[in-house]
Amino acid sequence: MAYGRSAVDFPQSVVHAPVVDAMFRNLLLICTLFLCLLLSFVAFSDSQPRADFTYVNPSGIHTLDPARMSWTQDFRVALNIWEGLTSWDRKTTKPIPGAAHFPPTISDNGREYTFAIRDDARWSNGDPVTAYDFIRGWRRGMEPGTAMDYAFFFTDHIEGAAEYVAWRNDVVVVLGGLRALRDGSTPTEDQLRRLANHARVRRKLTNDSIELTLPPDAASPYAWRALADDLAALELDWGALIDSVLADHAREIDERFAKVGLAALGDQTLRVRLTRPCSYFLDLTGFPTLLPCHGSIEVLRQRYQGLPLTAEGLVVYDPQWTKPNYRRHGYDGLVTNGPYQLTDWVFKRRARLTVNPYHRAVDEISCRTVDMLEYDNVSASIMAYEAGAVDFLTDLGVPYDHELARLSRTGERPDFLRCPVLATYFFNFNCRDAEVAGRANPFVDPRVRKAFTLAVDRRSIVETVLARGDRVAYSFVPPDTIPGYQPPRGLRRNIPEAKRLLAEAGFPGGVGMAPVELLCTSNDVRVGQALARMWRQMLGVRVELRALESKTFAGTKARGEYMIARANWYADYNDPTTFLDCLTTGNGNNDSGYSSLRYDQLIASAKLLVDPTVRAKRLQEAEAVLVEQDCPILPILHYVQLIAVAPHVTGLHPNARLWFPFRYVSVNR
Amino acid sequence: MILRVLSRLSAGVVTLACVYAITFVMVVAIPGNPFQSGERKMSPEVEQALRARYHMDNNWAYFGEYLAGAIRLDFGPSYTYNDWTCNQIIASALPVSMLVGLLAILIAVMVGVPIGVLSAVRRDSWLDATTLALVMVGISMPTFVVGSALLTVFAVHLHWFPVGGWGTLAHLPLPAITLSLPFIAYIARLTRVGMLDALGSDFIRTAVAKGLSTRVVVWRHAFQVAFLPVLSYLGPATAQALTGSFAVEKVFGVPGLGQHFVNAALNRDAGLILGCVLVFAALLIVLNMLIDALYAWIDPRISGAV
Repeated sequence: MAYGRSAVDFPQSVVHAPVVDAMFRNLLLICTLFLCLLLSFVAFSDSQPRADFTYVNPSGIHTLDPARMSWTQDFRVALNIWEGLTSWDRKTTKPIPGAAHFPPTISDNGREYTFAIRDDARWSNGDPVTAYDFIRGWRRGMEPGTAMDYAFFFTDHIEGAAEYVAWRNDVVVVLGGLRALRDGSTPTEDQLRRLANHARVRRKLTNDSIELTLPPDAASPYAWRALADDLAALELDWGALIDSVLADHAREIDERFAKVGLAALGDQTLRVRLTRPCSYFLDLTGFPTLLPCHGSIEVLRQRYQGLPLTAEGLVVYDPQWTKPNYRRHGYDGLVTNGPYQLTDWVFKRRARLTVNPYHRAVDEISCRTVDMLEYDNVSASIMAYEAGAVDFLTDLGVPYDHELARLSRTGERPDFLRCPVLATYFFNFNCRDAEVAGRANPFVDPRVRKAFTLAVDRRSIVETVLARGDRVAYSFVPPDTIPGYQPPRGLRRNIPEAKRLLAEAGFPGGVGMAPVELLCTSNDVRVGQALARMWRQMLGVRVELRALESKTFAGTKARGEYMIARANWYADYNDPTTFLDCLTTGNGNNDSGYSSLRYDQLIASAKLLVDPTVRAKRLQEAEAVLVEQDCPILPILHYVQLIAVAPHVTGLHPNARLWFPFRYVSVNR
Repeated sequence: MILRVLSRLSAGVVTLACVYAITFVMVVAIPGNPFQSGERKMSPEVEQALRARYHMDNNWAYFGEYLAGAIRLDFGPSYTYNDWTCNQIIASALPVSMLVGLLAILIAVMVGVPIGVLSAVRRDSWLDATTLALVMVGISMPTFVVGSALLTVFAVHLHWFPVGGWGTLAHLPLPAITLSLPFIAYIARLTRVGMLDALGSDFIRTAVAKGLSTRVVVWRHAFQVAFLPVLSYLGPATAQALTGSFAVEKVFGVPGLGQHFVNAALNRDAGLILGCVLVFAALLIVLNMLIDALYAWIDPRISGAV
């Protein structure tokens, strides 16, 4: 088809005579169609009356499955519609009573917790909340296939959980290897290794008089490849082997789970055994991953050949179980046990929470309905707030947030409140790799890291460059937020000392140091530039910025392909170890690759201490190694988040975890 | 005729298959873990189990599964929004985008065509200069600037329209107008050029010499030919408008499809990327066919080439 055909070629006679009429007819048709669309839009548009209280959840809900969620905005909804064994205080975020009596019975060695679930704890369909509901919920949180980011809560703390998950995971990998063999593709080294060690597979191979010898540990990938090819060449019924491995596994699964330290002593008593004394365990029991789960979900469990597992050996539930109106196979929509229940959820638009009529505090709840709106754009949500359409904003993170921070500070907008959050924005130094992308990495030397730390004026970054009202950070753990813990003082700016250390490390005046690369996302460019300028002026080192898109950034950082990289960390529970654990050797979140025997020992020994003062002192000592001596990280700021609470709303309080229970909110318009 | 339609349709299917294969390869090739959210890394075991769950541990099985799904028009689960399938996401977003897009195209034609005709007829007058300048502004101004300005003036200050949210008729006009601006500009330019061409040609001189009124000459004779380039532009333009615009949706909080094009790629959400791309490709192919048919019907000489 010609595009932009010149009209000059057309003699008039060629153009259809009825064209104009036809075109008008067409137009009429289009208009009619359009009117129909509009009418249907009006017919289907929601005519729900405005809720008692409306707030905006920035960037929307990712999931409402407590076992799988990891975003603050998801936690907020979950903790309003479910209730854990304990809950968090809305001002101090300390543990307060939840669905169980408080406090639970704790054994003398601090490793056994016995929770008595309240008689009046009820699901939103009237069923009593039982210990089994908690075990079901917690089990989902650790089962391979459903487990996500917070599976480590269980494997780190609950007795036998790590062993159970390892056993489960082993079979998942074995099945993956068998499937690869069945489908004619190549199993990975890990799969082959586990196949060779799996009893059932071994027996089958021995029966067929097949010798399976693994290559030595140092073998080249080709040796593994050859083994895989040899296996694939066998005339074996891999499908049948998969089925028998799976059947064996399914038969054993409940027996294995019984060894995990979770036991229901009757309907209303839950006994939890921990791997070690854990002073913050009652804080964890308020966390969304440890919420209960109603039994009706079992009908939505995916089954393979009648087994309660998928063909891959995983525990998978129909992911749509979190919808209030999802009815299938006898499932009757989401049932929750919190002060609210979810009554409506439209993707990327809104969710409506309505009081749970069976909740014990139902009569004290002032806001009977709560609307959560999703705005992808924070500016638009601020405009909606200004126009009075919204009562509460949990996030004012916009490009002009320094202006909002100023309005809050000067008192011109008393409705903009500051929440000092339990979170730190920092930069990692790569302590592990002596060479990065072909360049020598000077940061393997702690003196260089310390020199770079001493040369930074963090106050000017926080107060002048960003000016959002964040707190200047000299330590990893934010000060004055975790009860009973004060972080060490940290290092202040000291240029002569920085220069001296740099010279000592072999780079006097920055001479001899190749340009340093700073890895960041597009959001950190301003801070990155400020840092680069400081290091150039004070130390004579050239720093180049490399900004990447967030997922690529995360991968690059995790692979250690950087010299300096931005990072942030949000606390999961009210204890310094939620920060300090990250920098222990081998921790999955230790992006700096920092490894210090002394630090590891201090952290490990602190974990066994029961006396809170001694423990805090030990942890403080460990953190001092981090921020005053070895400097694997450069803390810049502790976030302060601005929230907006309309003047006619009471009962919302700024807190370090951005936890806003709506049951205490009242609105007086 | 039927044969021709069939051949066009099969060509469309082949195009879709190519689009699918290329997109799939890109989805698999781009680095980044779709399951990681924020800074926290999940344990390798958890990730391994998730990859097994979605058959990502075997690229051929993964490809086959997605292909089988796509043929059944089922794009599988979303990795980012665990509780929704990609089909549900597209089904909730596409009608919204289509509504806004249709309205925008309608506005664009209603406004752009008269502007183009008028500026061609009054060539080199102040009217022509003004409209040309306005059209240039329309092309150059990013929609997120115009959108924010409209939102600030008409919603925040004048309270004529609601700020954000979705679900009533009042939510429609601002995004539709914003979305229509660049289309208005293009259509006006195309109409103007087409009209100038037509008005300078022999048959128009004949028509004027016959003593026909300006109205008839302009609208009945010149416009019919001048409209053809606009018509061919309307195919891709409508496909683009119907699938939504990221910027417009972001500014007005419209829950349309445009945002998913960008976010799905950023989140490495394989099913959603494939779904969005295929929906867009299918719309583009269908609309182009429709426009070609319309074209052939207006100008019979072309029908042989379709």
